Amino acid sequence: MKKKVVSVLLSAAMVASLLAGCGSSGGSTAASSAAPAASEAAPAASEAAPASEAAPASEAAPASEAASTEAVAAGAHAGDEDKLTGTEFEGLTANDAYNFAVVVKSFQSTYWQAAIKGMDMAADELGVTYDAQGPNSESDIADQVNMLNSAITGGPAGIGLAACDTTSVLDSLQDAKDANVPVVCFDTGVADAPDGSVVATVATDNTQAGEVAAEHMYEAVKDVIANAEGQVRIGEVNQDATALNIQQRGLGFINKMIELVKADGKTVAVTGNEFYVNAAEGADGEEASADVIIEVAVPAQTTVELCTTEASTILSKEDCIAIFGSNQTSAEGLLAANSNLNLLGSDAAGGDVIGVGFDAGSVIKGAIADGTMYGAVTQSPLMMGYYMIYALTKAANGDSVTDLPTDGYWYNAENMNDAEIAPNLYD
Amino acid sequence: MENKKKFVLEQKWIVLIIVILLYGFFSIVSKEFHKTSTMVMMLDSTYYVLLMAIGVTFPLITGGVDLSIGTGMVCYALTGGYLVKFLGFPSWVGMLVAVLFGLIVGIWNGCLVSILGLPPFLATLCSCMITRGLGSMMAHNFAVPWPGVKEPGGWFHRIFKYTIGSGRKASNYPVGVLVLAVVIIIMIFVLNHTRIGRYTIAIGSNKEATRLSGVNVKIYHIAAYTISGLFAGLASVAYAAAVPTIQPGTGAGLELDAIGGAIVGGVSAAGGYGSVEGTLIGVFVIQLLKTGLPFIGLEANWQQIITGLVLIGAVIVDVLKQRKAALAGD
Amino acid sequence: MGEVILEMKDIDKSFPGVHALDHVSLDVRAGEVHALMGENGAGKSTLMKVLTGIYKKDSGSIKYQGKEVEFHNTRDAQAAGIVIVHQELNMVGDLTVAQNIFIGREPRKGLRIDDKKMIEDSKALFDKLHIDINPREKMSHLTVGKQQMCEIAKAISHNAKIIVFDEPSAALTEKEIEDLFVIIRDLRSQGMGIIYISHRMDEIKVITDRVTVMRDGGYVGTLITKDCTKEDIINMMVGRVIYEKPKEHSMVPDDAPVVLKVEHLTAGKMVQDVSFELRKGEILGFSGLMGAGRTETARAIFGADPKQSGDIYVNGQKVEINSPEDAVKHGIGYLSEDRRRFGVVVGKTITENSTMAALDEYMKGPFIDKKKELDITQKYIKELATKTPSADQLVVNLSGGNQQKVVIAKWLVKNSDILIFDEPTRGIDVGAKNEIYKLMNKLAQQGKSIIMISSEMTEIFRMSDRIVIMCEGRKTGELRIEEATQELIMDKATRQMD
Repeated sequence: MKKKVVSVLLSAAMVASLLAGCGSSGGSTAASSAAPAASEAAPAASEAAPASEAAPASEAAPASEAASTEAVAAGAHAGDEDKLTGTEFEGLTANDAYNFAVVVKSFQSTYWQAAIKGMDMAADELGVTYDAQGPNSESDIADQVNMLNSAITGGPAGIGLAACDTTSVLDSLQDAKDANVPVVCFDTGVADAPDGSVVATVATDNTQAGEVAAEHMYEAVKDVIANAEGQVRIGEVNQDATALNIQQRGLGFINKMIELVKADGKTVAVTGNEFYVNAAEGADGEEASADVIIEVAVPAQTTVELCTTEASTILSKEDCIAIFGSNQTSAEGLLAANSNLNLLGSDAAGGDVIGVGFDAGSVIKGAIADGTMYGAVTQSPLMMGYYMIYALTKAANGDSVTDLPTDGYWYNAENMNDAEIAPNLYD
Repeated sequence: MENKKKFVLEQKWIVLIIVILLYGFFSIVSKEFHKTSTMVMMLDSTYYVLLMAIGVTFPLITGGVDLSIGTGMVCYALTGGYLVKFLGFPSWVGMLVAVLFGLIVGIWNGCLVSILGLPPFLATLCSCMITRGLGSMMAHNFAVPWPGVKEPGGWFHRIFKYTIGSGRKASNYPVGVLVLAVVIIIMIFVLNHTRIGRYTIAIGSNKEATRLSGVNVKIYHIAAYTISGLFAGLASVAYAAAVPTIQPGTGAGLELDAIGGAIVGGVSAAGGYGSVEGTLIGVFVIQLLKTGLPFIGLEANWQQIITGLVLIGAVIVDVLKQRKAALAGD
Repeated sequence: MGEVILEMKDIDKSFPGVHALDHVSLDVRAGEVHALMGENGAGKSTLMKVLTGIYKKDSGSIKYQGKEVEFHNTRDAQAAGIVIVHQELNMVGDLTVAQNIFIGREPRKGLRIDDKKMIEDSKALFDKLHIDINPREKMSHLTVGKQQMCEIAKAISHNAKIIVFDEPSAALTEKEIEDLFVIIRDLRSQGMGIIYISHRMDEIKVITDRVTVMRDGGYVGTLITKDCTKEDIINMMVGRVIYEKPKEHSMVPDDAPVVLKVEHLTAGKMVQDVSFELRKGEILGFSGLMGAGRTETARAIFGADPKQSGDIYVNGQKVEINSPEDAVKHGIGYLSEDRRRFGVVVGKTITENSTMAALDEYMKGPFIDKKKELDITQKYIKELATKTPSADQLVVNLSGGNQQKVVIAKWLVKNSDILIFDEPTRGIDVGAKNEIYKLMNKLAQQGKSIIMISSEMTEIFRMSDRIVIMCEGRKTGELRIEEATQELIMDKATRQMD
């Protein structure tokens, strides 16, 4: 008897602690723990945004005149015969057979393999070499910092860095500067880098890329929003709230969407992850009454399984009309969630939920080709890797280098095989 | 004195009540959670966690542990997937290779523990690292997508989920429940009605007395780890069906869901006690928390904290149980 | 005998389904040795656990040094001067003797442990007890007997007023028991009250002043030891007269076939060139002091430990035995001295334990034939008169004697012809002991051959047809029961000591 009583009490305690956990997290605890993080990150984002906007305006403006309607900015035009035409790297040669160190975020997705491909191309052309390494997953921040530190100690001619976490690498960047090793950031910029440590940043203009996603999604759901009787919901799954590129992309999407919705005379509110809610600008509605709700979800870890759960929670809601996955992992999470829910499609008026992805990979490409996913924005990892090696070579030669933003391109079932787009769509 | 065996049963049923309460609680708070599609989604990830958990129940009962199942599972899925996707082998070859790979790693773990006498924690921790590296190597660092449902070779998805119709009219049938039910019934039988099961329990309860009864404990000790490896191999197929792209370098941490489920389900952390049906129920507790907490609007990090707390609760029950048993034995 | 220092009155304690103590009383005076007797399960241990605060009593009173007391744990009790010397040793093998004695209350010098003082204090304790043990020695290097001495030293170091000895002699040799008695008499003369729990009738007569007998959780009575006979006490304990006389002559015909022949067996330090023969139907006693290498010899024969050299013949055939599995295949069964660790799987049922060795014969294809398994288990429960409500009972819930019967059943189910009983009645109460003896005799009559390792001289004389004596890893003598005397055995058992 006694044993039974003890076990019943214990399990009661387990349930009680569980309920207590639920209660407090919904209330003050979570809010207070998340708040400082958000306020720290916010200035970083706002600092970064003008920088990336300013860069194309000053440096890359002449080149953009020649560009097509979709892909604006610099010579990051993948379809060009000569990738270097119109850039500062035209005619560049290496003064020496440099050896660079490259630290990527991980080898997790095919995205990084495309970047490696670009690096190989540039290295071949210039006659330089590089050693690439990266942690097992994009959340292994400490591992990456260790790799960066040992790369600096190795004394390479320069370092190419795609930082998992933009604040954790600051000390290492100072060390690199002290050791006179030039650093070129690619894929992700480091906004607070010590002066003179990062000689150039080759990165997608993530804010612009997020905006592209919002524009195309809004086009598809515009009528649905206009004709909606009650509230409608647009979801966004971001893999994390720490990496600058994901932050910019997520906010670019949110802010653009707010702007577009408001322009058509509807009210909008942002809910979900506190970082994004606090950083979003221009939302004018209340969660209970707004015409459009943008709900942002962030999983505990950057795995597809957890992104899937987060996407499912949003997709399961009756009023969800569209959803955006802001990188390859979260976009695949959308698709995995949809394999149970079967809500995604291209016919918004007919009741399909519009799914928009980011990056490529065979799963996303397949979904776009068969119409499950409405479309996606791709970066050019290949070009970023390519330019990064060029920038490093120029810096190693002793010349100054400037930032080089590359664009995000919209692709869907119609244009994905176009010569301008296809090379960026890695498997 | 009260029978100790009864008490283990008690815990199992109490956990079942917790499962029902949790499900009820989430369903009341979130109407989206209550949907069939949510259940099907939860089952998708339950299959591989459950398969791992059933397997790891055996080493746990011997008083050991197998930490290599999470990274192992990803490693086998990468290897099999690479063969299918990049080298053009049919799906069944990939699946077979994945399962056999798991079996071999299981035997390897068993030999380290049983013949070389390494502590299970260390031996399988090393295997965890090895499989993590090996998986990335096997896939040449590529993220590996297995064939999708509609692609040629995607039939294996239908072992777990059968989809009728397409687009928004499609409905999913979680046929994996039936497959798993068969597996569970078989494993309940293996644990309770075969020599492997009987001696697995005996080794966990008193290895030396078992050896001195003339039992070849080395072989049966290896067998327990082999079962764990085999099930990690089977889990890799379920994992490939649930996750669009298998990413190299991942999988660490997934073993904790499985081991946690087994412990919550009444497997003694010190060995000697445990049941397959208990593990099944325990895994559902973990999976319900993982799925349900986001639905009631809880920050993702809270899941992990709460899951950890539930585990502590289960271990406390286990420790108290052993203390009681020690007193009763005097 | 001085005044009463401890008075337990009308102690009552129930567990779910068991009335463990039914209004039991016990009083201990300063300067007396008070025996507490009763079969296993009579409630002696429970009473002592109530005394030292491990269990909380339901009702009754405990008066200690004139005051009503209630201890909440053993630490409280120790602090007040009541300590138990346990039957099972609670020592940390990897620590030294001194570290074990002062564990949890190490003398300090600043933040550092004062090793010097600890060792000196240990030495002083040992001097007081007239024992020769090096306090710097690792505990695991000592013999069981010496470890027990350390346990006593540890108890005394608590400034004890009451010392409870829980079967202190179970693991000791005759010589060590004599040493123990010297110590106990010494403690008695210092005015301590001693509660002495033992099953050994001879010792009770020698060492104790009064005897309190318990049966089935109840109080039977208290006697002055010198005014009563062994039979009086036994009758109070079991309510029936049991006593078997020593064997007078061998029951084995001279031409009985040799079933086991061991030649020049060497295994580690403890087994040096041991040779002997075992005949069909014979009970071969192995006598010797603790640490003579008898258990080690048995384990080497059984394949439990590796051997360096030597040959083993079963029924005239030379056999290779490298593991217990091999030994079992050749019909050898081993019943360890430490049942809980090596004999039974206590957390499993009687059925599971009974078929542990012979499971291969209880299969139906790949599955265990549970029906057949249950039948054979029940058959042996009946045949061995194992006291249990059912075959599903967990072995942990059985008394020592019944656990031993489960181990015997295991080897009978396997149909082993050669049985090695290592201390077959250690920790088993008088009534059950007698049953085990009868059983062994019956098995021998049925043609089983038995090696019996025993440290109890009376047991050796009662059971053996022939006696092998070992000392420090060597066989030092072999006697037929007709020619054996205690003096002769002791002489051979200590031959190499001097």
